[in-house]
Amino acid sequence: MKKQLVSALGLSLCLGAGAAWAEGITFNGFLTAGATYGDSEVGTQDGNINNNVEFTNDTRIGIQLSAEVNPRVDVTAQLLARAKEDNSDVVADWAFVSYTLTDPLKVRAGKLKLPTYLISDYIEVGYAYPWIRPPQEVYFSNPISTINGVDLLYNAYFGDFFILIQPYFGQSKGDEALIPQEALPLLPVPPPAGTVAYLDFTAEEMKGINFSVGTDFFTLRAGYLETKVNAAFQGVDNDDVEFYSLGATLDWRNIVIYAESFERKIDGFANVAFPNQRGSYGTLGYRIGKFLPHVTVALLEPYDQKPFNPPAGYGQALEQESVTVGLRYELGSGAALKIEAQRVEPEAGTRGLLIGNPNDPALDDPSKSVNIYSIAIDVVF
Amino acid sequence: MKKMLMKISYCLAVAVFLCTTAAAHAGLAIIAHPSNPIAGITADEATKIYLGKTKSFANGRRVVPVDQREGTRSHKKFYKSVVKKDDRALKSYWSKLLFTGKAKPPEVIGDDQAVKKWVAEHRNGLGYVDARVLDRSVKVLLVVP
Repeated sequence: MKKQLVSALGLSLCLGAGAAWAEGITFNGFLTAGATYGDSEVGTQDGNINNNVEFTNDTRIGIQLSAEVNPRVDVTAQLLARAKEDNSDVVADWAFVSYTLTDPLKVRAGKLKLPTYLISDYIEVGYAYPWIRPPQEVYFSNPISTINGVDLLYNAYFGDFFILIQPYFGQSKGDEALIPQEALPLLPVPPPAGTVAYLDFTAEEMKGINFSVGTDFFTLRAGYLETKVNAAFQGVDNDDVEFYSLGATLDWRNIVIYAESFERKIDGFANVAFPNQRGSYGTLGYRIGKFLPHVTVALLEPYDQKPFNPPAGYGQALEQESVTVGLRYELGSGAALKIEAQRVEPEAGTRGLLIGNPNDPALDDPSKSVNIYSIAIDVVF
Repeated sequence: MKKMLMKISYCLAVAVFLCTTAAAHAGLAIIAHPSNPIAGITADEATKIYLGKTKSFANGRRVVPVDQREGTRSHKKFYKSVVKKDDRALKSYWSKLLFTGKAKPPEVIGDDQAVKKWVAEHRNGLGYVDARVLDRSVKVLLVVP
């Protein structure tokens, strides 16, 4: 089915080349090819970064087709294949129609990527940011990445300033959330610890707003998202979920700064598996010609956690701290090579965002932290 | 009669001077369709149009900017002297807008001749070409030395 969709799109593109109505079709894409290695037998919680050289964590390709139907109406489809998914299955990450109401105001309907945080809506486009992957302490916190619904996009410029106001509304079905290790025993047939398992869930009544102001070199952003989640998991039923976020980015002269913080509040039984959390990071980089060396410090911590009648031992917020040093090098036009070394240290006796606690005395070689080494090439075309 | 000859030779001299200077300092011309009533454009206005920040000329007419392909002399000069963004900054800027469906970069038409021809055929067109290829088919809005 998915393959059929791709060939159908490809076919219409080919046919379109000769048809008058298809004059405005544009075709663009992005690709990341990456490899990772972790120096501990304890890998990341989704199992994609581990003690072997792995090529699946960051590798992906995206193809975007867009067509101008008329001066006010555009359609866009972005197809994404991640090496992480089984056999690089293709998904439509974006598929929407956009209608321009007045010049800076558009309404878009269809499948859209959620602007939960600063770079959430272009998180797959590695070329557009300095790291190989954005800090997981913030970016791993929301398993919902797309919405089926509508948004309103007001993106206006006043002199040297811009303002972006983007409210959105919709739902998400068939999303998969990684089941935290702590919640595995709650499954009907509990798998052994260290199993990577996912849970289908739906997010209803999703409402959010993305607000940013800035100039060509500075952006200040605030975001809010609320939804109700349902899953065939214990008593998860219309549980309230809220995300608050604040971020800023600067790209001025040779200085590159990113800073962001979020708070996640989850009620009901969902809180047992997905406790309240706060995460933050700061990145500082300095461009030297084609090189951009950068350093990032990130933190994941509890936030106002008041568990909803949790079974003993559940609902504990995860804590970790990580330091990443990286180097980005421009490989000519539209391509960049990146290398990174990251030290991840879970805190407060938790496993952090790893699959287990690397300091577990039962391990062959217990250690307080795990080092992760990554290399990637990012291309846009 | 003598005065007339003087005038003609003066005009010729000026014309020759203009031509030679144009050839010596290959300026970059920002061009529009001859029917566009707009008198000129500033580098700042052109930048805003080429970065997708505005969709109209200062006179309110809808604008459709077109780009030259990467690597032409005019493309380099335009982005260096007018837009003032290097290749990385430009690609990064458009990646964020394009792949989030917010805006699209200007269509790439080709080289100086192709852009001139395209602008001459499109009422709302805007382009940039080497001043040496200019002729009456397009209207010059700004010359960047």
